[in-house]
Amino acid sequence: MISQLPIINLVALLLMAIMVPFIKKISFRATLWLGGILLIGVLVSSVFIFIHVANVGDIIYHFGDYESFLGIEFKVDPFASLFTLFVGTLAFIIYVYSSGDKTEGIESPEFSRYYVLYFLMLFAMFGILYSNDLFNTYVFIEIISLTSCAIISIKRKKEPYPAAFRYVLLNEIGSLSFLFGIAMLYMISGHLNIDLLANTIQSGWTTLPINIIFAIVFMTVGLSLKAAIFPFHIWLPDAHASAPSTSSAILSAVVVKIYILVLIKLILKVFGVELFASLGMDTVLLIFGGAGMIMGSIFAMTQKDLKRMLGYSSVSQIGYIVVGLALMSDLGLRSAFFHIISHGLTKAALFLSVGIVIYLKKSRSVKGFEGLGFQIPIAMTVFGIAAFSMIGIPLTSGFIAKWNLGIAVESASQYIFLGVIVISSLLNAMYYLPILFAAFLKDNPEHQEKVSIEKIPAAMLLPIVVLGLSILLIGIYPNLLMQLIDLVIARL
Amino acid sequence: MNILERIVENINYLGGAALFLIGLHTVVTHTNLIKKIIGINIMGTGVFLFFIAIGNIEGGTPPIWLEGMENPIFVNPVPSALILTGIVVSVSVTVYLLSLVIRIFQTYGTIDQKELAEIMEQEVPHD
Amino acid sequence: MTFTSPTSKPKQHLIITPSSARTTTLVFIALLFLLVFVGAVENWFGIIDKLNANTQLQASLWSFAHADVLLMIVLFLPVVGGFAQLAFGMRAVKWRDRMVMGATFINLALSLLIYPNAIDGGIHLEFPQALGLGLSFTLDMLGYTMVLITNIVWLFVMIFTHVYMGAEKRSTRFYFFMAITYTTVLGAVMAGDLFTMYLFFEIMTVASYLLVVHYQQEDSNRAATTYIFMGLVGGFLILIAMMLLYFEVGDLQFESALGALNQLGAVRYWIIGLLIFGFGVKAGMVPVHIWLPKAHPVAPTPASALLSGIIIKVGAYGILRVATSYYFPNSNIEPDAVWLTIENVGFLVIWAGIITMSVGVFMALQQSHIKRMLAYHSVSQMGYIITGVGIAMYLGDHGAVGYAGAVYHIVNHALFKSLLFLVAGVVYHHTHESDMYKLGGLWKKLPVTTFVALIAALGISGIPLFNGFISKSILHHGIVEAVHEGSWIFTLAEWIFIAVSAGTVASFIKLMYYVFFKKTTETYAQIGFEWDGMNAAMIALAGLIAVIGLAPNFIMNRFLLPQIRSMNFDPHFVEEVLSQLNYFQGSDLLTMLMVVALGTGIFLVGKKFNLFHLHLPRWLSVEYLIVFPWYMLMYRSCKLIDRKRHPLDPDTEKMISTDQSNPTGFLERFQITVNRFNDRYEKPFIQNDALIYVGLIVIILIFAIIRLI
Repeated sequence: MISQLPIINLVALLLMAIMVPFIKKISFRATLWLGGILLIGVLVSSVFIFIHVANVGDIIYHFGDYESFLGIEFKVDPFASLFTLFVGTLAFIIYVYSSGDKTEGIESPEFSRYYVLYFLMLFAMFGILYSNDLFNTYVFIEIISLTSCAIISIKRKKEPYPAAFRYVLLNEIGSLSFLFGIAMLYMISGHLNIDLLANTIQSGWTTLPINIIFAIVFMTVGLSLKAAIFPFHIWLPDAHASAPSTSSAILSAVVVKIYILVLIKLILKVFGVELFASLGMDTVLLIFGGAGMIMGSIFAMTQKDLKRMLGYSSVSQIGYIVVGLALMSDLGLRSAFFHIISHGLTKAALFLSVGIVIYLKKSRSVKGFEGLGFQIPIAMTVFGIAAFSMIGIPLTSGFIAKWNLGIAVESASQYIFLGVIVISSLLNAMYYLPILFAAFLKDNPEHQEKVSIEKIPAAMLLPIVVLGLSILLIGIYPNLLMQLIDLVIARL
Repeated sequence: MNILERIVENINYLGGAALFLIGLHTVVTHTNLIKKIIGINIMGTGVFLFFIAIGNIEGGTPPIWLEGMENPIFVNPVPSALILTGIVVSVSVTVYLLSLVIRIFQTYGTIDQKELAEIMEQEVPHD
Repeated sequence: MTFTSPTSKPKQHLIITPSSARTTTLVFIALLFLLVFVGAVENWFGIIDKLNANTQLQASLWSFAHADVLLMIVLFLPVVGGFAQLAFGMRAVKWRDRMVMGATFINLALSLLIYPNAIDGGIHLEFPQALGLGLSFTLDMLGYTMVLITNIVWLFVMIFTHVYMGAEKRSTRFYFFMAITYTTVLGAVMAGDLFTMYLFFEIMTVASYLLVVHYQQEDSNRAATTYIFMGLVGGFLILIAMMLLYFEVGDLQFESALGALNQLGAVRYWIIGLLIFGFGVKAGMVPVHIWLPKAHPVAPTPASALLSGIIIKVGAYGILRVATSYYFPNSNIEPDAVWLTIENVGFLVIWAGIITMSVGVFMALQQSHIKRMLAYHSVSQMGYIITGVGIAMYLGDHGAVGYAGAVYHIVNHALFKSLLFLVAGVVYHHTHESDMYKLGGLWKKLPVTTFVALIAALGISGIPLFNGFISKSILHHGIVEAVHEGSWIFTLAEWIFIAVSAGTVASFIKLMYYVFFKKTTETYAQIGFEWDGMNAAMIALAGLIAVIGLAPNFIMNRFLLPQIRSMNFDPHFVEEVLSQLNYFQGSDLLTMLMVVALGTGIFLVGKKFNLFHLHLPRWLSVEYLIVFPWYMLMYRSCKLIDRKRHPLDPDTEKMISTDQSNPTGFLERFQITVNRFNDRYEKPFIQNDALIYVGLIVIILIFAIIRLI
């Protein structure tokens, strides 16, 4: 039974996406409740899958009982199940928030469409993580591209359209590069299954090295483009800024990470670390990551639009993950995985608490935070915790992430990155702290005398409180998460 | 002559790669959004062609079993099947992009990227 | 700031309100506790022997005092109290203040009880798994000394605060962050490893930011921004050092790591250098002291008293702790060669301390704002402490004298500097004036304040019979020792040391003269003498200053020597030189006499020729020397990209111009500059969607193929 659960999850998400328009006709509230229950179900089953996979062994599922060289194969290993758990958790939290925040630019006829896209996107993300087949991965990637772009342009406003256009265009170039890489790999091995490919890649390296070079370069660059690794980040700030806050949260916290996870899967499972490093690609990624850490923060500092600022901050944080990955060591990978989860929680908390600010003030400007800390204390406190996590103050998960990265960087003798980490943290402090100061330490010019606590729907407050607490929890007991990550790495 | 022979042998692959580059060139150099979409499609076609070329076997027949065949050489059917999916994806992306272009034209009144950028820069006041 | 000073009513002599009676009683009980503590430790009247006779009572007391959980109670009581007063504070101000004072008092009482436990070899507590690496707390005598002095100063400052902040706005927030700072200070000094220390240190930076920024005026925001960013820089430097140390040594417990460190090349110097600079930021070491004179004047008085009295000491404590643990050998290793690293570093640290003390005192002489002057004296006195730390490193196994001097001076400075800031606060509270040249003749109106200010000034100037003299003469011995055992060049350091002491004397003669004794036409009719908690707290601190000066051996024998004996200093040296140290010997007194004469001379000359108003040219200030090149660079680079399409608008130009009077801060300038570059280069770059992709894919392909070939 438990080996069928991954497929049941997928099918349930897909069915929900299809059903939303029909159930909506009966009652929109019912749709929301049903979706929530479904997500809880998916979450619980993901937990069971993880426990099963960790204790018993990988779940391998063949569609239609074809052999793996012919048919599509799903392989649920600890890596996939941990990150589906991560995706599911954040998706549920953001879903709850989105059910409260009905104003942000989406008009009511679009609500149901929003949820169709949301569930489709979740379906594709689960699919990517489970899938053990490259072409299947490509198809899921395309589904994510389309749904995530649509989730941006769902607002009936002007700005999202050009942003979404650029996003789709670049994403499509990225996807085609990825497909081109798959073609190159298929040419030498005749397989699309990741395990089978890995077996033939060494013999392919001796016969047709140029193919493998093209495959590595095109797939890496294609995924970098989609994951917004530094020089390819140009679409991200626009796209994330103009989207509704819930969309920005899921895009920045989860979707971007999925591509990095695919890249990790490719490097570790298909090409192998030695091959990848022998082409100098680790150096390339290190440079990209290091440059991103600093440039992302510098760009973020100059922004006047709060959500663009958060978008650039994501670029910088992706740099941290890429550096961890590019070290090509277990320690580096640990730090990358930890940072993926830590940043997912933190960035979701930031975008959602900013969402409350937008809900209240209908403006995205960095200015105008004066006295907000007393109007929406909970939201600004969570914003503060998340900002401290970004800066790397101890007791937050961001500190542990930085600590891990620092240790990993040293073990690879890349001492210069210690300086890069510190400079990037300082730059982070330079743009997050003034906002916090304004919120808590300046008086609002409009309400000099009495500042009342504004009423925010509980469905919006609860998720960010959970996110804030989990940032602290992981910051204080990182080993809860570290054990899981170690398990993943041991079995990867 | 050797080089020429190799070119002729690999003409399918080279054609695919050439289409890819042509498409990319279109995307990069043209500012018209519709042309960019066309470029993307050309790129996609290039990759698809490349993929199908892998499956091709010299002198192979379509992989359909007929009565009385003896040791038939079939063309690899898997790439073609995959590319069918790819084409579907490509079509949906194109449709989505085109619909976005319509929206852009409705709201901004232009589909030229440079003009669009200028309009957007004017609309966002510098603080 | 609105003061509804209770003293504005017509003057009435010696009115004791119930509230001031209560606070006075509290001060009295606290002093009584301290007296009992001293009595018990010194075994007056055979009190301990009598206790030992009664075995049952003794056993139960013993086990109570040895409960490790006491340590955690002392650590977390303040923060629990902080949350409690946050909950109560909105409703009843009276109960909030009582709660704060009560919690601090209980903390002091409990920390006194820990003494037997600390002296019996220290307490060690571990919380494995927390924050990944595990936290650990160790309380040896060094840590205990810090804990005790923190608790004592904190209690008296809190009693002071109760009166002082009574009329201020937002005092609940102030108390709350005060409580958090309190816990973090205690945590930092109790830490058993660098990681725990860093944790508390970093939170302390953030929490004390809220204390500095309390008034939320333009100037306090600016100063507090400088404070937190410099604090963060310092914290990050420590973080790098900690990562290096953790990776190279594998453990962050405060114990000798020389075995692993000696395997490394230059990295071991990097680690200690980063640590010294990182902690040095908090300790106010030149050239990273610039936040200190900015933050002190704008903070509320209790905050500046604690900032100067306790918080900056944590920085010095950090340097002392890391240097004397990681870089000191285990006792079983042969000495001499293993000391080499720390001796080299110590040489530099001594000079850093000497420079710090001379810059501090020189700047202090120029100031007219009382609190800013005291802040520069904090820099200068931190120089003494850093010199002591440097001597402890430089002299290797004979470094005990520097160690003792540094810790002793930490204790003394905590007492007199917090008292001086409280005095400044009282003066401001009554007169609303901080410029010492505009004050005068206050001794008639504020006799108690004048009296305690005099004692504190005598203490800081190092006059015999007051506490500053003791620690300064130990440090002086240390420098002389350094001349004997090390390089002749420290003779120069000795001269500077004497000159700086003379400068301190001059500076405090100036303070006392201008504020309290100068003849003035101002009558201050509104000031009436009233006995309140502030007076009681200040008198208690002054009493401690005098008592330490009269009986210096108590702290030496009961606190410092046990710690030094447990470390790897040369036992011969410790027993024969340090424990036999006679503070009141002729040569020291003579030196002191010379210092006082010199100081008086400086004051008279300075007053006569108006040298105290002589301000250095702006370009010579340290801040300006460091920051100005950056301002210049930013301005120039902004001008450089000034093109037709991206003109530099005049407002922006004014903001970043390098004019002398331009108040724009470093951060703003940096942001403006980055903004300019962003506008100029990022926007067009963004327009080219796929160009980056094409370019980079080609470059990476070529790179990979070259690697292959």
